Amino acid sequence: MIKKIGLFIFGIAFAYSFFANDRTYKYEVIAEDLSHPWGVAVIDKDNILFTELSGQLRLIENGVLKPEPIKGVPEVLFAGQGGLSGIILDPSFEENRKIYLAFSSPDSGQKTNTLEVISAKLSSNSLDEVTTLFKASPSRRTAAHYGARMAFLNDGTLLITSGDGFNYREQAQYLDNHFGKIIRINTDGTIPSDNPFVSNNDALPEIWSYGHRNLQGIVVVDGIVYENEHGPMGGDELNIAQASKNYGWPAITYGKDYSGATISPFTKKDGMEQPIKYWVPSIAPSGMTFYEGKMFPEWRGSLFISALVPGDVRRIEVDKDKVKKEEILFDDVGRIRDIVSSPDGSLILATDGPNGKLIRVVNK
Amino acid sequence: MTINIVNLIVSILIATCLVILQETMSNMFWLISVDMPVSISNFISTYFANIFAMNFSGAIPLVALVAVAFLIAFLVAKILLNWLDVPKTYAYGVAGALAILSLVLLMPLAFYNLDILAGGRSILGKSILTAFGLISGFYFGRTLEKRII
Repeated sequence: MIKKIGLFIFGIAFAYSFFANDRTYKYEVIAEDLSHPWGVAVIDKDNILFTELSGQLRLIENGVLKPEPIKGVPEVLFAGQGGLSGIILDPSFEENRKIYLAFSSPDSGQKTNTLEVISAKLSSNSLDEVTTLFKASPSRRTAAHYGARMAFLNDGTLLITSGDGFNYREQAQYLDNHFGKIIRINTDGTIPSDNPFVSNNDALPEIWSYGHRNLQGIVVVDGIVYENEHGPMGGDELNIAQASKNYGWPAITYGKDYSGATISPFTKKDGMEQPIKYWVPSIAPSGMTFYEGKMFPEWRGSLFISALVPGDVRRIEVDKDKVKKEEILFDDVGRIRDIVSSPDGSLILATDGPNGKLIRVVNK
Repeated sequence: MTINIVNLIVSILIATCLVILQETMSNMFWLISVDMPVSISNFISTYFANIFAMNFSGAIPLVALVAVAFLIAFLVAKILLNWLDVPKTYAYGVAGALAILSLVLLMPLAFYNLDILAGGRSILGKSILTAFGLISGFYFGRTLEKRII
């Protein structure tokens, strides 16, 4: 009798452990030994462009990583957090083969650098018609907090995230510079006439929103712009960004300085926007995507935010400006720098570091 | 010997508290400049919170950094005093000033030009911190001179 009870308990425990660990997904490594992969743009299921922070633009063609980087990429400053960073395809990429790159650009003959965005036409293995669309002003001496992510609004204008440069955090509150801002430009580099500060003589006309820190993810969903940004020690944020709005950094924040000092004792103020979610302690949010695929029906309609600390992905169920649920996924692949959705419904992760990987998440 | 060590520790603590005061002041004065409602109680509570946080929950305990800088600077001052005929207050005052200035200038080299002490980003901030180092070193030199008398 005791033996039967023991077997029964063992059977229950085995079944529980089997099903409890049963994931609905598995990983497939697409490419490895990559040099700090940073931004990923999916052309189609088997053709993927991605940047390496050290300055290479790479192409996975028909599922295979081309050994040679794409030629014609401008010189980048690969130092600290700087390098070849954001990448996005033109909404009409299939027709015009146009891509956009954001990177830290060294100022010639000087110790300064800045965030630069270019457009270029992708040929078989090179970039042609490289055109500078935007250079953040003024330049900085630091190699940190560039932002350098991009997204298209429904009207075809390009949003660019421009970080606060770390040492220049107070500048995020002033409109005469590009530190800590979201920038909006046309795809030819001109400034849309309906930008919120075009008629303000004291403001730079490219500015769309301000009071940001280091924006590392931005997506547009049904016209709503979601952006995430690194706080200092604590205070990482998920915001809904809107034209002309002030997001408060560093006058209000939920984080502390790396020295431990209080940057501001305030977390709220009239006229400054609140995040729809914040993280204390920090998760170091990086890329972000909105999932609408069919491979994982239970995840449809969720934001996915990759995170560097400790290294996972946050699935966020949102209902416009309300966060309904947060789930931690993919916490066994290390620091994750970017996440994008693929047309086949899979998700693609870029792991951080000098031996980074591109990993596809597919269902079992 | 024991008294010297106590005085050294006190001078390190004075320097640490003054550096934290500058950090707090620089943040609070900027907040006031953008019309944030900073009150005296905000200032005081933030200062005391910073004393704890910058020594126990920051990336590096500030007091440890100040201690290392002061130990090196005071050791060099002590050696130089064997040849130089200057009052100890001046010698240790300059040593304290150079210790803090070195800290502010060298830390960014280790962090991609990032100023971890936000209060030391501007020339004014660096000057104030250097002056605070001078005061702390001066205090230490004065305790040594008192003992000789």
